[in-house]
Amino acid sequence: MPHAVPLAAATRRRGQHPGPLWQLLSSAGFRFALLFAALFLLAGLAFTGVLWWGTAGALDRQIDAAIRADAMALAERWRDAGDQAVADAIGERLALDAENQTLYLLSAPSGQRLAGNLEALPQGFAPDVQWYGMSLERDGIPGEARLFVLPLPDGSRLAVGRDVEEKLRLRALLTEGLAWSAGVALLFAFAGAALLRRALERRLAPVTATAALIAGGDLSPRVPLSGREDEFEALGHSMNTMLDRIAHLMEGVRGVSDAIAHDLRTPIARARNRLEEALANADDPAALHSALERGIADLDNVTRVFQAVLRIAEVEAGARRAAFAPVDLVPLLEDAAELYGATAEENGQTLRTEWPAALPLTGDRDLLLQALANLLDNAVKFTPDGGSILLKAELLEDAIVVRVSDQGPGLSLEDRERVGERFFRADSSRNTPGSGLGLSLVRAVVQLHGGTLWFDEGHGESLDKPGLAVCFRLPLA
Amino acid sequence: MLHDAGMLPRLLLALSVMSAPSRVAFPAELRTLPQDLHYCQELVARLATLPAGVQQPARGLGEEGELLCRTGHIRTGIARLRRALRVAQGR
Repeated sequence: MPHAVPLAAATRRRGQHPGPLWQLLSSAGFRFALLFAALFLLAGLAFTGVLWWGTAGALDRQIDAAIRADAMALAERWRDAGDQAVADAIGERLALDAENQTLYLLSAPSGQRLAGNLEALPQGFAPDVQWYGMSLERDGIPGEARLFVLPLPDGSRLAVGRDVEEKLRLRALLTEGLAWSAGVALLFAFAGAALLRRALERRLAPVTATAALIAGGDLSPRVPLSGREDEFEALGHSMNTMLDRIAHLMEGVRGVSDAIAHDLRTPIARARNRLEEALANADDPAALHSALERGIADLDNVTRVFQAVLRIAEVEAGARRAAFAPVDLVPLLEDAAELYGATAEENGQTLRTEWPAALPLTGDRDLLLQALANLLDNAVKFTPDGGSILLKAELLEDAIVVRVSDQGPGLSLEDRERVGERFFRADSSRNTPGSGLGLSLVRAVVQLHGGTLWFDEGHGESLDKPGLAVCFRLPLA
Repeated sequence: MLHDAGMLPRLLLALSVMSAPSRVAFPAELRTLPQDLHYCQELVARLATLPAGVQQPARGLGEEGELLCRTGHIRTGIARLRRALRVAQGR
């Protein structure tokens, strides 16, 4: 599974077999979870860091402020009343220092100790440095001192400080706590990442299993759905829909081959028979000649039939539904009318048309045009010369209804049932050319668009030629 | 991984050690004067001068402190006396 491993690293670390840790690290789920955990850890550390600084740091600042204030007060005292006053003040402060934290020293210019509880100025004392932090020994107890040394105008020195042992202990406590929490957070990060990875794997397992089965060649399995309404469920749904579609398409393809094989058998057989017959009676070259011409015409017919059958099968398989787009039926009606209007004129027929300004729907432009053409073709074919053909379309609330009406022989009720069958030709139409596929295609196209097809009486004026109206309804949505 | 596993606890340990106050393995740089019985008596005298020093509860604390000092517990005694002084001053 790991495919982005640097070769050197892989061979150095694991030889041929990736160990469990490497597998863990190459899991996307794990890396994802680890990233989140790392961010969380970072945030936690930042928070704790700020907290640490806010407490330990604040403590530092607080102590320094107290020391400085104290020193300034004592310096003020010295300015007002001299050494003795300061000595008294220091004694007073020390007497009240129940926590035993304060440090004072007033030393003369000579270095002699005048007041305070410090033995002497710090060993590393430098005249230009005011703040000191150093180890402290208080009655034999080790500690840490923070000291501020203020030089007085006469050369004396005033040192004020605090024992900050407590503060340091608090800081150590905080640091230890920080370290522990970081360690625990890290543990949680790894554990959480592993758990998350396993959860992801578990949720993806049905999909991967099904995909593996299908890759093996069996199209029938579907992703089992758990009923939870989450992203993985949606993935499973999509996969199942996709597989259904593929199965349906494959059915369609099979269906097309079957249809072609079935429907072409007859025309091809007929062509062959005729040629064979011609061969049997092959004495007359003129007869042979015309037999060959007929053979060519038969083969042309086969080609036409083949194309029509293919188209119908395609349409029935719904293969073209994917190419549906918004289309206005009016230009199609105009095109069809123009195309067959000319033929009608030649036959002395009139083509009456009636439709609104626009007829918007969603569908396949070519198929709809073909269907209209087929209907008009039939109408022109069956209407006697001098007759009229009506092409009408109207827009209803939720559908478009198209009606093609002629003055031909019409269709009996029994024939109306059978007319959708491929190659069916009603008795009354035996004398007219055609393969019997026209209405099949129209029916298939209408069905593809989710519509319905039905027949009605045409507008024929005589009893034996009542005419036929072919109507179909296409939904708008 | 073995190499990595050892680092983390060591790092944490180092972190905690670094932040601990340095124990005095060498002589301290600063020293306070040793507290003695004399200082105790100074504090007792100071307490006596305060008006609230001879009243409870300051007085009780003061007597405790004095006793502690006399029985050798100088540091505790001084702390007690200092508390007595604070109470006497109303702090």
